[in-house]
Amino acid sequence: MSVIEVKNINVTYRVLMNKSSSIKELIRDAIKRKARVIDYIALQDVSFTVDKGEVVAILGRNGAGKSTLLKVLAGVLPPTRGTSKVGGKIAPMIELGAGFHPEMTGAENVLFYSALMGREVKGVKERTPAIGEWAGVTDHMDFPLRTFSSGMVARLAFATATDQHSDVLLVDEVLSVGDSDFQAKSKARIQEIINNGAAVVLVSHDMRAVLELATRAIWLENGHVKMIGNPEEVVAAYEAN
Amino acid sequence: MKYAQLIRLLVNRELTLRYKRSVIGIGWTLLNPVLTSAVLWVIFSFVFAARLPGQQQFAPYLMAGVLLTTFFNQGVLASAESIAHNGAVLSKIYVPPQIFPIATSIAGLLNFFIGMIPLALVCAISGQMLSWKFPLVVLVGLCLALLVAGIGLVLSILFIRFDDTRNIVNVFLMILIYVTPVFYPLTILGPKLQVIIQLNPLTSYLEIFRWAFSNNAVVNWVDWVYMFSTSLISIAVGSRLFRKYWPRTVAML
Repeated sequence: MSVIEVKNINVTYRVLMNKSSSIKELIRDAIKRKARVIDYIALQDVSFTVDKGEVVAILGRNGAGKSTLLKVLAGVLPPTRGTSKVGGKIAPMIELGAGFHPEMTGAENVLFYSALMGREVKGVKERTPAIGEWAGVTDHMDFPLRTFSSGMVARLAFATATDQHSDVLLVDEVLSVGDSDFQAKSKARIQEIINNGAAVVLVSHDMRAVLELATRAIWLENGHVKMIGNPEEVVAAYEAN
Repeated sequence: MKYAQLIRLLVNRELTLRYKRSVIGIGWTLLNPVLTSAVLWVIFSFVFAARLPGQQQFAPYLMAGVLLTTFFNQGVLASAESIAHNGAVLSKIYVPPQIFPIATSIAGLLNFFIGMIPLALVCAISGQMLSWKFPLVVLVGLCLALLVAGIGLVLSILFIRFDDTRNIVNVFLMILIYVTPVFYPLTILGPKLQVIIQLNPLTSYLEIFRWAFSNNAVVNWVDWVYMFSTSLISIAVGSRLFRKYWPRTVAML
């Protein structure tokens, strides 16, 4: 059964030619009938499915539409056309610590971040010490986040996001968090989540990680799916390009 | 509701964060309206104090106006800004974006209710009895929160789409203070001017508010109708427009 089902999605951004968001210019343009709005096509006719326990890696250059695709999967950006169905609990690890606030303590941020992901606050409260311990910041949990180093923040965010079981994991370049010890630890945790039957969509420029984790790869170019298939072949073709 | 706990956390954050680094913390919520009112009282007490209808005391009269317009002004600005501020979250994790302006309005409402404590004190000091109708200020607060949330929802879209809106809104809010009878009694104005001031919905909210806590103010049934209708229309229209334009706006975050 597919957890993620994406069918013929298109995403177009309307872009003002010279990004001038002022009312004066808008009125001027409207009077002069200068068509300054252009449609930027970020994704075109993208379809794929992801089953339970599958790890799909998305490859592509900057601006190929990888982040846009993740935003559509996260439900943040509605596709202009087509449908995107994602079943179950989503853990969006698109940018770790989005929603963290520097003036709130580590523990408060864990709670808030979890609530943003739709988790039950009560359960998270009990788990907070364990989350802090896993991230290696136990001694700092009651201090404001601004006193954390950036590595500590990233570790805490990773620990929070992966603390509960999710059906879908959306990962954007977050495997390179922290020192090598923590990287090994976080890779093991992702593997554990995969083994528990989550569907994972992974965006990474790290081809080693892709080959190691992915069961399928999608190569995006200018918003199109250029190639889809087993990771070895797609990575080889992508790197030859 | 699934997002109730998130709204609670947001409200909590809103209330505590502003004073996180200050010594008396949330005590500023009590002190701020007192200080603002005190300044205005010193300036205006000679000018208008003697002309209040029905032996109302000037200090509580003024403070009611300060509390109400502060709630409105800060609430509108903060809820309109809340979506742009949380853009980083909203473009990565799915949460209904409306909860940010809503949480901000609720925080404003709680601040308003906290403000009732110094208001009651000022009433006592200036020798004016609190009315038995005092609990009705809850109604005024709720209606004002709906009004603020509705306006905030619309403005939050505009703030993202056009940077100019911020400046226009600031000017507009400044004018609004003067066309609301905060520090002058309505009765000192000529009949034509009175009509204009009464077209401002905030005037109705304020009149009802003053009527609720003091024994000697009067209120018109038109004010009640105006208050309820503007708050309901605001939240209905605001959430509709928001839902309509949000999909196109989220890409601009």
